[in-house]
Amino acid sequence: MLDFLLYLVTVAAIYGLLAISLNLQAGVTGLLNFGHVAFFGVGAYATGIVALHGGHWVLGVLVGIVAAAVLGAAVGRIGRTLAADYWAIVTLAIAECLRLIATNETELTGGAQGIGGIAGPFTGLSTTAASIGWIVTALGLLAAGWWLAERLTAIQFGRVLRLLREQPLLAESLGHNVTGAKVRLLMIAAPIAAVGGSVYTMYISFIGPNQLLPIETFLIFTMLIVGGMGNTSGAILGALAVQLVYTGTRFIKDYLPIPAESAGSIRLLLIGVMLTAFLMFKPSGLIPERLRRVDARH
Amino acid sequence: MLVTDQVSKQFGGMTVLNRVSISIQPGEIVGLVGPNGSGKTTLLNCLSGFLSPDEGTIRFGDIRLDRLPAWKISRLGVRRTFQLPSQPMKMTVLEAMLCGASLPVGASMFGLFRPKHRQAEEREAIRRAHELLDMLKLSHLTHQPAGQLSGGQQKLLSIGTALMEKPSVLLLDEPTAGVNPTLRLGLVEHLKEVHKSGTSLLIIEHDMDFITRLCHRVYVLDRGEVIANCHPSELKDNPRVVEAYLGAPKTTAVTGEE
Repeated sequence: MLDFLLYLVTVAAIYGLLAISLNLQAGVTGLLNFGHVAFFGVGAYATGIVALHGGHWVLGVLVGIVAAAVLGAAVGRIGRTLAADYWAIVTLAIAECLRLIATNETELTGGAQGIGGIAGPFTGLSTTAASIGWIVTALGLLAAGWWLAERLTAIQFGRVLRLLREQPLLAESLGHNVTGAKVRLLMIAAPIAAVGGSVYTMYISFIGPNQLLPIETFLIFTMLIVGGMGNTSGAILGALAVQLVYTGTRFIKDYLPIPAESAGSIRLLLIGVMLTAFLMFKPSGLIPERLRRVDARH
Repeated sequence: MLVTDQVSKQFGGMTVLNRVSISIQPGEIVGLVGPNGSGKTTLLNCLSGFLSPDEGTIRFGDIRLDRLPAWKISRLGVRRTFQLPSQPMKMTVLEAMLCGASLPVGASMFGLFRPKHRQAEEREAIRRAHELLDMLKLSHLTHQPAGQLSGGQQKLLSIGTALMEKPSVLLLDEPTAGVNPTLRLGLVEHLKEVHKSGTSLLIIEHDMDFITRLCHRVYVLDRGEVIANCHPSELKDNPRVVEAYLGAPKTTAVTGEE
């Protein structure tokens, strides 16, 4: 049971990182990134590929961060000429392209089998020691991500992002380079998700294309909607809530007379119900975005 | 200082601006009037970089503005306001004001790691914001959500945000539409103060009384062409202006409100 709890919290913390990253894009800046899972995938596969070629895990994480920043910048540049809804479709398409490449390419990504046996910082330790190492790492990264996101959205950098989410023309008229700000934001948000991908991959020592399905992106959107868009703490709370439901449904089959193979579908069904319920009855989420009172101190 | 030379703009097959040449000299307050659809806002959009003209040039001193993006023009010191209230819902009035300031340290993502510099520039901006909010009689709303102010208050606020960086030229698109009469008179005084502090103004307005009180010169646009360029008091004697814009020659006190 303890192992299970450790697993639950570790995975929730990793999803928390992904949710913080998506919140910076969708919640703060209004960038509806429907291909968010691609940033996760870039981090995960970079770590996997570097490990496959005998590279140290630190190198894998760094390659993931850089690659995600480059992908973020590229995706942001595309957004320069597109309306928000069309950009959302393009991001979905880009993420799907990357997943299909990962599925069909075998030399580098191991194709549909993925890459297994990926070593991480705690490889070789006892199971318990490794579990504790991972939970501490994941929570530490989550805290760092929370701090970074909170501070970035409070200073002028984030203020401009929040303005351009609501009033892009006004932002432009006040001398703010709207496209530039979006690109810079994506270059920060994408690496946060990539670190999440790296950690996840090393934690379960495996990455495969099935972890890059579009449903993952929408799972993270559900976390934001449940927790509260535009609010870092909300994103983390949402990640925990959704992860509880997602993981908790494993036990449904123990208590209800349903076949084990339907448990997975019931889990997704519950997530869907949760998403719909929040959108209908509490659209601003558990912790709604608040006004920021500015004073001379901060 | 700010000069357009033969600027034309077409939308589809329709000519909205036809070889418009206007100029705003340093220290001037210039009015821009004309019937609806005469191209006033389109001209202002061209001046501020939100549209680029099909033909003609726009210069600000020695700098060609007509191919620059709007944010660069704003940074050069030519700022504008919008006809419709457009303040953010999820920001306080004070935060919205700070968005008008140029805070190079805080606006950089590395600003996080230079807290001293960031706080110093922000303190200065907050001081200026309070000063402007006092002038615009909005200080009691400092911590209210900007987007929830009334339409008229939002328009005042947008003038405030534009003034955070002491622009050389301020382009105002119908600043008094939706603003109550006493506040309008107040606005005349505010804009005179703004002008005194060294900002030239171009004002699109239908309130002729407002124009007469404030402007040194006024351009009249009709169907995309400049049909008059004179002192506001001379407008009612110009038959073309009366026919195209002021209408009803019998009235002497024209309010121009629509």
